[in-house]
Formats: sequence, C-alpha cells, structure tokens
Amino acid sequence: MRKIYPTTIEAIEAPTLIRITDNFYVVAFRLMKLLPAHFILDRAQQAGLLDIGSIIIETSSGTFGLALAMICALRGYRLILVSDPVIDTSLKRRLEELGAHVEIVSGVEAYTGIQQVRLDRIKSLQEEHPGYFWPSQYDNPHNPEAYTPVAELLVEALGHVDCLIGTVGSGGSLCGTSNYLRMLFPQLTVAGVDTHGSVLFGLPDQPRLLRGLGNSLMPKNVAHMAFDEIHWVNAAEAFLATRILHRTHALYMGGTSGAAFLVSRWWAQQHPNATVVALLPDEGYRYQDTIYNDDWLRQHNALLTQLPEQPCLVSHPHEVNENWSYMLWKRRTYEQVLHYPFLGGQSRGQ
Amino acid sequence: MAVSEVDLKVGHGQAYAHHGELLQGMFADEQGYLHYGLVTLPCMLFHTEVTFTVTPNSEIIVEPATHSKAFQAAKLTLHYCNRSGHGGHLKLNSNIPLKMGFGSSTSDVCATIRAVAQACSFHLLPEEIAQIAVQAEQASDSIMFDTQQTVLFAQREGIVLEEFHKPLPVLEIIGFNTDATGQGIDTLTFTPIHYSHQEIEAFRVLLAGLRKAIALHDPYLLGRVTTASAYINQRYLPKPHFDRLLQLASKTGALGLQVAHSGTIVGFLFDPEIAELEERVQMILTHLFEMGFHISHRFRTEKRTSPRKNTA
Repeated sequence: MRKIYPTTIEAIEAPTLIRITDNFYVVAFRLMKLLPAHFILDRAQQAGLLDIGSIIIETSSGTFGLALAMICALRGYRLILVSDPVIDTSLKRRLEELGAHVEIVSGVEAYTGIQQVRLDRIKSLQEEHPGYFWPSQYDNPHNPEAYTPVAELLVEALGHVDCLIGTVGSGGSLCGTSNYLRMLFPQLTVAGVDTHGSVLFGLPDQPRLLRGLGNSLMPKNVAHMAFDEIHWVNAAEAFLATRILHRTHALYMGGTSGAAFLVSRWWAQQHPNATVVALLPDEGYRYQDTIYNDDWLRQHNALLTQLPEQPCLVSHPHEVNENWSYMLWKRRTYEQVLHYPFLGGQSRGQ
Repeated sequence: MAVSEVDLKVGHGQAYAHHGELLQGMFADEQGYLHYGLVTLPCMLFHTEVTFTVTPNSEIIVEPATHSKAFQAAKLTLHYCNRSGHGGHLKLNSNIPLKMGFGSSTSDVCATIRAVAQACSFHLLPEEIAQIAVQAEQASDSIMFDTQQTVLFAQREGIVLEEFHKPLPVLEIIGFNTDATGQGIDTLTFTPIHYSHQEIEAFRVLLAGLRKAIALHDPYLLGRVTTASAYINQRYLPKPHFDRLLQLASKTGALGLQVAHSGTIVGFLFDPEIAELEERVQMILTHLFEMGFHISHRFRTEKRTSPRKNTA
C-alpha cells in the first residue's frame, strides 16, 4: 500500500537508501536534523513541556534551526533562534517566513568564542521568557535516541552493516545510529568525520570554512568511545568531494555529505568485502552560491582540482596535518587518546 | 434451549509448548500506539491434549482439578459457541514442565478452547482462540497460531501486530532451566514491565532485524536479535550467569542465546548445518554440567505437522 505521510515532517525526515557500488551505500537525507528536532519536541510535548504558543529557544545557524522552525510552524510554537553572523541570508529569510525570530549575535570581533556568546545570549533570553523550552541538541540525550529509524532502515534493507561513516557535529546521528546498530552488530566499525579547527577529537579551535560538522565546544552527545576511526577532512577537499558526488552520482548534497562521501568511498575501496554505509545529512540547494560556485570557492581559496587518493595515517591528533588525515581512535575516551604520550612525528603502531 | 442428542458430543484439542520467545518488548503499531508484544518460539517437545465432553448440566469438571485457567477457558468457549447453559467434563493430559517459560498455561488453554469448540461443532480461527485465551489468562503467547506461521503477538490483547508470512529459519536449540531450585516463575504475579523509551526505540531495530532474518532465512541475524532481546530482558528478569552463557555461546559458535522472557529457561541457538554440531553441543552440555545444570533438552524448528485442527 502506498504510504500517505501525515505531515510534511514525516515526509521529509524519511531517509533514502541508495546503492553507490556493490558494497557501498549512502543514506541520503533531505534534512537529517528533522529527526532529532521532531523526536526532541515530541518527547517534550509528551512530558507536558510544550503547548500551542510555547516558546522554544535554541542556538543554531544551520539545519537544526531550520528543522525546529518547520515543526514550530506546523504546531504553533514560538521559536527564537540565536544565530551568529555566518548565517546565510536566504536561510534567515526562510526561518523568518516559517515564523521564527532570528536573533543575530554580533559585536564579537574574533570568531573564536562566538558559540559561548550565543550561549550567553540564550541564557538572558531564557530569563526573559520563563517557561521556555530549550531543545539543546548538543547535550540532550533525545538527540542520539532519535536515530532509530536510520538503524531500522539499514537493518531491514541490508540485513548487515560492517562500517558506518558520517560527519560529527553534535554527535547525535553517528553515535545514535551506531549505538542501535551495535545491538545487532557489535563489531560494527564506526568512522567519524571531523574537520580541521574543530575541538571534537583533540584539535585546537580555529575558524572553519566547512560548516555543519565539527564544533568549537564539546557536546555531551559526542560519545568518544563509539568511534573506531576519526578522519579530518579540510574544506576544499569536502567541497570538491561534494561536487564529485553530484557529477558522478547526481546526488545534489551539502558539504557535510561531501566529507562523508570522500571518506566512505575510500573505506569501501579498502574493504571490498565489507558493507559500508555513509550518512549524507542534507541537500545541496542551500549551497548553490557557495560550494557549487567556483568563484566563491576561488575567493575562499578552497578550489581543488583533484582529490587526495588517500588520507594520511596519524597516531595522535597533534600529528594531523592540514590535509585529509585519519587515526585509529579504537573506541577510547577523549582523555585516553589525548593523554596518550605523543612522541613527535614518530609513528607508533600498537 | 433444550439439550438434544446432537449436543452431547466429544471434542479433542491439542496444543504445543513453546520455548520462551525470540523477541519480547513493546512495539508501536501503524498509528504509533504502543503494545506489549512477543514472538513465540514454538517447541514440539511437549504438548497438551484435551478431551471435552459436553454435558447437559452447567457444571464444568476439570481433571486434574489444578488447571484453573483451563476451567475459565472452557467456560468462555462454551459462551462463545452459544452453549452458555452447558457444562462438560474436561480432561487434560500435558507433559509440559511448569513455571519455566514453556507456556504450559497457554498450551492448556489453547487445547481446551479447541476441544470445547470441536465439541460444540465450531471451527475457531487462531485469532478467535487468541481472544478467548487472553480473557482466560490475562496474557497468552501465540501458540494458537500454526507453528509455521510467525507473528508478532500482543500478549495482553490477544491480537496480531504483524505477520511475517514465512516460517522461521531452521534452528537447533539446546535449552536448559537456569533455576536449579525448580520453583520457577508464576506468570500471574509477574507485573507488566515498564520499558524505558530507549528500550522502546531499541525494539524497533530488533523487530526490523527479525523481519529481515525471516525474509532472508538468515539464522545468524536471528541469533543476534534473540541475544539482544535477552540482553534487554536482563534488566527485568535476569538469568543467572548470563555473561558466562554469552561467552559459551560465542566460544561454541552458537548463533546466540534465546530466553523465556517471563520464565527461567535459556536456549543456545545453532545453525543445524554448522560443521561439528555434535562436538559443539557436547561442549555446551559439559559446561552446563560443570555449572550445576544437569538437565537439558534439545529440539529443532523445522517442517512440522500442525496441532490437530478443529473440524466441524
């Protein structure tokens, strides 16, 4: 029987599983963050924390804010989004069209620390609006728990998964999906994709051109012990991979998808007998004037002509160079990895 | 209604035991409503046979008299078959061990319903038997369905939540009772579990795994589903030595563990096609013996004959 979706949310949040090669599949989302936004707001509603007219306050300059705005428009919640100046104008217009109040935090010269400024603004807004609800995607355990539909899809469609690869920002999608898959496949390899300038796996905080993955703060939802491998992909590499994903597979996706595609394609080639799945978080339309525009790439010194064939293996985050690098994280804690004695450039096989 | 000669009939019914469940938890239906549900693992080692003779007076005599749920089932079935004023003589003969999770109660109830219905010249569908069974004993397993037919069954509502349309992959099961005292579990005193929402989410994935395992006839995936279900159940009705049993399963190349979620039996699942099956089984038995479990049982899920059907 053909399915009729009860609302736009259910229709758009449902991912599509696509075979790229014999052993390599992608889960393509139109807007992945609808899953956690939907799940978090459903839980809050069931707990009696939300009703028509309730105020939701969140910090987001990207897709989680969009997902919240879509649900709030359908359900009649009031949404205040605290955002930094990097938010693109068309997204801001779209959020406002959906009824969200977008507050840009400005007056900060250095990029570093702006997330803290956003959090401070949230705090003062919360004092202004008692009875608010804060979805808190970075720390809310309902974020990773929202990803059972992805695990369900993979189990039912493929029957077995050997390796799951995705970008890490809040930690929700990859930690959540892999946690559920490992109930059935405890050996599942999980490879996280981060970017240079993100603190998630031990690099120093720096401005990042590649958005939608990485973080300047450490979210509680990043469960470091879930990861077998960590890759760092720079912006130019991710952008070219995004374009190649479009050219070769007609998949018009965002930059995080490019980063995940770059790593997962390589992983699948390295392990021809393993079933490899990559999570592709959003579509490319928001990036028409940036990632899909050579002039913009050139202006930002992010126009590559060729992808690196393989990543550089490092044994410690401090060894990561400016290009695509990876290390075997081996399901250790952040402290175990970072406090592991670092002996310069020397490779330390274990 | 006057009792005619035609009504003084004898009916026979039979029902198998089960060996706990492959999966048990809480599952959402299409509308998103949650139901307690389970997937039974039928076990042809044991069964109940019942004979029911309709009598014109309203008294129902159960033999042996200890089977109070069978009494309820007989009464409810007579009512269902428009013989409310009637009684009868119910004779049960069962070899199913009690209070371990073999489903002796549902087996008694099902066999009784079949026998009474046959005596009343009624042919009941499994769905109808399920409804009566749940009324008689509050919660039932799904042994009233053909053993070739696997269903996700709402044990407290007596309804099928999902049909899998294919038989289970063939499995070899080495089972034993983890309760050496033999006291067992009284299912009536076992209150419904309050699953966490994380567990309810997890059950969606396990159910997807079960669907795929049945569709692909994949015993390995099935073993992973049953093991994960058993693992979650450790929070509610823990089986002793669970970690050791898991290690033993892994060491012997078993597909996984499978438990009676509201009982005390545990099974090691094997692919019957695996090389050196007998050696592996011996290793299990040796270890179980060392752990103080001297009694075990062994059976297979394979092409079987169905329990006797009611014929009008």
